[in-house]
Amino acid sequence: MALTKRPVRMSLKGKLSRPVGLVLGAIVFTLPYVVEFEGLSVAGHRIFSVFLLAIVLWVTEAIPLHATAALIILLEILLISDKALPPLPAGFEAPSFSTFFASLAHPVLMLFLGGFFLADGAAKFRLDQNMARVLLRPFGDSPTRIMLGLMLITAAFSMFMSNTATTATLMAVVLPVIATLAPEDRLRTGLALSIPVAANIGGIGTPVGTPPNAIAVGSLADAGISISFVQWMVMAVPMMVVLLLIAWYLLTRLFPARERSLQLTIHATFDKSRPAQVFYVTFAVTVALWMTEPLHGISSSIVGFLPVVILLATRVFSARDLQSVQWHVLWLVAGGIALGIGVNASGLDAWLVGLVGFESIGKALLILALASVALLLSTFISNSATANLLIPIGLSLALSDAVAATPSLVAFFIAIGASLAMALPVSTPPNAIAFSTGAVNTRDLAVTGSIIGVTGLVLYVFAAPLLWDLTGVTP
Amino acid sequence: MNRIVILVIEDEPEVREAIARDLQSFTGHFQVELAEDVQDARTVMDEVTTGGDRVGLALCDHLLPGERGVDYLVELNEEAATRSIRKVLITGQAGLEDTIRAVNEADLDHYVAKPWTVENLHDVVRGQLTDFVIDNEDDLLPYVSVLDGARLMAAIAERGFDR
Repeated sequence: MALTKRPVRMSLKGKLSRPVGLVLGAIVFTLPYVVEFEGLSVAGHRIFSVFLLAIVLWVTEAIPLHATAALIILLEILLISDKALPPLPAGFEAPSFSTFFASLAHPVLMLFLGGFFLADGAAKFRLDQNMARVLLRPFGDSPTRIMLGLMLITAAFSMFMSNTATTATLMAVVLPVIATLAPEDRLRTGLALSIPVAANIGGIGTPVGTPPNAIAVGSLADAGISISFVQWMVMAVPMMVVLLLIAWYLLTRLFPARERSLQLTIHATFDKSRPAQVFYVTFAVTVALWMTEPLHGISSSIVGFLPVVILLATRVFSARDLQSVQWHVLWLVAGGIALGIGVNASGLDAWLVGLVGFESIGKALLILALASVALLLSTFISNSATANLLIPIGLSLALSDAVAATPSLVAFFIAIGASLAMALPVSTPPNAIAFSTGAVNTRDLAVTGSIIGVTGLVLYVFAAPLLWDLTGVTP
Repeated sequence: MNRIVILVIEDEPEVREAIARDLQSFTGHFQVELAEDVQDARTVMDEVTTGGDRVGLALCDHLLPGERGVDYLVELNEEAATRSIRKVLITGQAGLEDTIRAVNEADLDHYVAKPWTVENLHDVVRGQLTDFVIDNEDDLLPYVSVLDGARLMAAIAERGFDR
């Protein structure tokens, strides 16, 4: 049997990457202090340092991703805020230092926090596992239909829960089934792959689906463009379903089942305790309010704070539960938002845009290029870091007179490009989980992941806008 | 590499070898160390610690020359550094009193009666190591294919996050 040692960690995060990342980070950080770039302001130079450092640290992970985010916020305060050292030359309107701290409580983070509460509660009361089992029943016992059921359920869950937690939850249901299959049955691989693939795709569906979406929504909000929960879903979900079906078809072809029927354990006992009931109602109300924003006008971030208040006030969530919220994920998103604020306030964005003759690039090509870069980059590095680095650049390009692409589309496509990266075990935690089962090898993942990633990119960039035009929902 | 060790303490050579053989399917991910008595076990424990590895599971016979197995398990439970080790008594001759002491004072995790079956020993070791890695390891993925995958997935679902 092949050993599942830790190949997941090897590529960019080897032992060497820490010192290399730190030294390289220090070098690129000093670069704008040594070299003077024509046409770039003093503040621009300073934020350029921060941006270059962010690239190096997020790519090498010399320090944890969320630590880089915190570092960015501190550096921006020290370098370009009204508390900057040394002070910036007169004439530059330095943003207040509290602006950068405020990114840690940005509205989109409150939206995400609400999503975390719903997901944590679903896990706490085993709503996710029970729902998965109940929803699987109608799919019968044929392997291909069960796989379809698994993928639809996984995708639906991962629209509201993290892709990683969804994958692990559903994998717990599937592993006992995989264990009963003959070692040479390709269905083992198909099943083990179907879940992460569906979770990665499902994460695209809502603003709370996965961090890159939050980064896109948050950065757009800072640029004065608000995208509602429903608006995102209308843009994302139709193609998500199409891609899901394509992925299912591909998996059934690549990994045909030998077994004619599968036996799943589908016992489900729903928690009927009072706290559980409070949670179910809170969950339903929150999701309903998110979906009906156009009717009542309460923004999704305010709605997101509702389950936080209700679940804490009713003691359904204890202080311990509040503690166990994955704050570091929120901070990582905040780092991207803070970087965007700095890049914009310092004028670095305008300078970068002016640097290259973007007039020669058409809008469509720009979007395709940015989404492809996001796909490629996040195949190797964290999806959130990819979005954090690319969205500020993408937005400034979109907002510049030379290109004038729709900013919301640019941010949307970068986030989706990042989510579609799933060709390697390191691409996303769901992939690493599939890989850890031993039922999937790197080649299976590379073939399936790149076909689905590229297909998804083409679908979204070319087919989705046609659909939006057709249905009149163009953002 | 930082490895998790299964420490087997058994005085009879044939029995010791039999346990080692039955644990072979774990050797890809875990290291099996054999000790013939408590004295020997302490030496192995020292070597493991100096080598940067740690013991995750102690499979201990009770009737040993010199100190008794249960006394050693109690000792492991009293030391902060070894408390997290999962403790299993594998014996045919522990009396009621010794067994009670093992449960109450050594926080015994499981009792395997001799003679054991391979399946039973496997299940016990798998379960105990699963508990150990869930309690002590940050990264559970390396263990999914060899331990209780479904339980590890549940633990990953609780602590996993999108990057």
